Amino acid sequence: MTEASMIGLLVATVSFGALLYLAALGELISEKAGVLNLGVEGMMAMGAVSAFMAAHQTGNPWIGLAVGVLAGALTGFLHGWFTVVLGAEQVVSGLSLTILGLGFAAYMGKNVVGRPPGGVLAPVDWGPLTDIPWAGPVLFGQAPFVYLAVLAGLATWFVLSRTRIGLALRAAGESAPTADAAGHSVVGLRLGAVVVGGGLAGASGAYLTLTLTPQWAEGITAGRGWIAVALVIFGAWRPGRAAVGALLFGGLLALKTRLQTFGVDFSPILLSMLPYVFTITVLIAISVRSRNRPSPAPAALGTTYRREER
Amino acid sequence: MRRPVLVRRDRPVRGGQPLAFAVGLVVALLVGAVLLMAAGHEPMSVYQRMFEKSLGDSNAWSLTLNRAVPLGLAGLAVAVAGSMGLWNIGAEGQILAGAMGAAWVARIGGTWPGPMLLTGMLVGAIVGGALLALVPAVARARIGVNEIITTLMLNEIALRLLQWLIHGPWKDPASFNFPLTPMLPDQAHLPMLFGRAHYGVLIAGAVILVFGVAASRTAWGYELRIAGSSADTARYAGISLKRKILTVLLLSGGVAGLAGGVELSGTADRLTEGISNGFGYAGIIVAALALLRPSGVAVVALLFGAVQVGGQSIQIIGVPASVSTILQAFILFGAIGAGVFVRYSVRLIQMGVDASGEGEEAT
Repeated sequence: MTEASMIGLLVATVSFGALLYLAALGELISEKAGVLNLGVEGMMAMGAVSAFMAAHQTGNPWIGLAVGVLAGALTGFLHGWFTVVLGAEQVVSGLSLTILGLGFAAYMGKNVVGRPPGGVLAPVDWGPLTDIPWAGPVLFGQAPFVYLAVLAGLATWFVLSRTRIGLALRAAGESAPTADAAGHSVVGLRLGAVVVGGGLAGASGAYLTLTLTPQWAEGITAGRGWIAVALVIFGAWRPGRAAVGALLFGGLLALKTRLQTFGVDFSPILLSMLPYVFTITVLIAISVRSRNRPSPAPAALGTTYRREER
Repeated sequence: MRRPVLVRRDRPVRGGQPLAFAVGLVVALLVGAVLLMAAGHEPMSVYQRMFEKSLGDSNAWSLTLNRAVPLGLAGLAVAVAGSMGLWNIGAEGQILAGAMGAAWVARIGGTWPGPMLLTGMLVGAIVGGALLALVPAVARARIGVNEIITTLMLNEIALRLLQWLIHGPWKDPASFNFPLTPMLPDQAHLPMLFGRAHYGVLIAGAVILVFGVAASRTAWGYELRIAGSSADTARYAGISLKRKILTVLLLSGGVAGLAGGVELSGTADRLTEGISNGFGYAGIIVAALALLRPSGVAVVALLFGAVQVGGQSIQIIGVPASVSTILQAFILFGAIGAGVFVRYSVRLIQMGVDASGEGEEAT
């Protein structure tokens, strides 16, 4: 294992980690407000195709990013509308959103499959910082999305744990009647959380088509949305722990294509099972422990709130 | 200022769900028409072709029935768990596990006579599906681990396992490195019924019928519903919740697994990565639209089968098959939207007055 390949692994770890982290943060915000959204994969696909098409049209990848975020947010809004406003089952609506998003994205993008990108968001040049050994390429040789993910993580942590609106949002996810009694609009908070979550999933999708691949193809999300759902649980609904999990799962994604180069005789396919195995293990561990202490899951997660039926 | 609120009706509107379903269908067709026109297609001729190729003649019906088999079994699997208030999101993985179970039996029993091999494969499929549901079932029954996420995660795990098998130990040596297993032996195929329809149609129909009867006419089904509606009531009635959860989730996994086995020996020549084609996820929509009733599952599965077969038939005229995916999702969203009004009525309420209080309500 050479130094260069080791650095390459770390660069890819951070890069994939940010991809997963963006989507996971969105799911985390949504779940914190009490809405389980299993449509991450669909929202990512919508963000990915919209971002690519917008960049393709305008030649400006930043416009692509904005459109991708918007597309993800709009797709998320659909879930919010049906579950929060109309009271549909969150599980059913979320999975339908995945099916719809994947189908819609495939339909929209059929004319740009394999086309060259209109513009890519290339790694940021940090000047001399990039030349630092190891830390340079790993931390300062990354695409804007990575720094966006870090900022989004810090912002999520700050808003959720240090602001009034964050407190209200968490209240909506723990006990909606309490949040309501305190004068907050539970519907507004939850809808807002799902829309913001959709926007972050859209950003994650845009990362795929504007930087990582950078092309559009059907099925480009390749199940990463499910890893994002897993990450929220793995990270115990905390932005900081989710970041650690994102690096771990991102590392597994990065390692998958490099096993052979490192001379490790292990199936990359079996390796890619690990995030899901870890998540099930963590979920079981949480349940075993929560006999003595409260579960980290938002108490009202997955339930519909209707003031009229209190 | 007045604002609208939803007020629960004393009882749902009679015949409301079929009506909501019809609304969903209309919404989906309208949205689809807009999308088709936006891409320069003629919606009516596309829909006409979809209809003809899925329900137009007996050959079309045979294809639709074949499609309805995995959709119906997956839908039933979700409905069985759902009748107890459990969410089996893992039907997709259980279908794959069932197909792997059946393929394994076909590997070791390649020389067995047909009936024995087919029976073995279907049993292998049921066991495979149930095995994949084992961890979520035990975790839920023993320590209360939420089954939604565990079953969902196992979908991805089962997919990787299948990929590993067909890339490695089970790969056809003569496949030029394509990830697929060798062809199934001839006697491993289900007999034909008519046209392209195979005996899986009868198997699925029988299984759905048995569950329909069991759910509505037996003590077992009654206990299931009680356990699903209130854990406390179930405990008073002496129903063991743990055992019920365990058996229902394993049964649900087994039914989904059976879908995989039937799909393998009915319509596929060999095990490939695409053996399921998203049937497990579509099955959740099917079950939701059917309000978790077995009879409804059969009807909705047939319609979804038709939409999927129709979707494939329009590829030849240059329309992407993703149209059918979009249609399926919008049928559900349309029906959810309409379904709200089956259970709720809309009232306009004076702003600034607490809806639960004595405010002046205006209808």
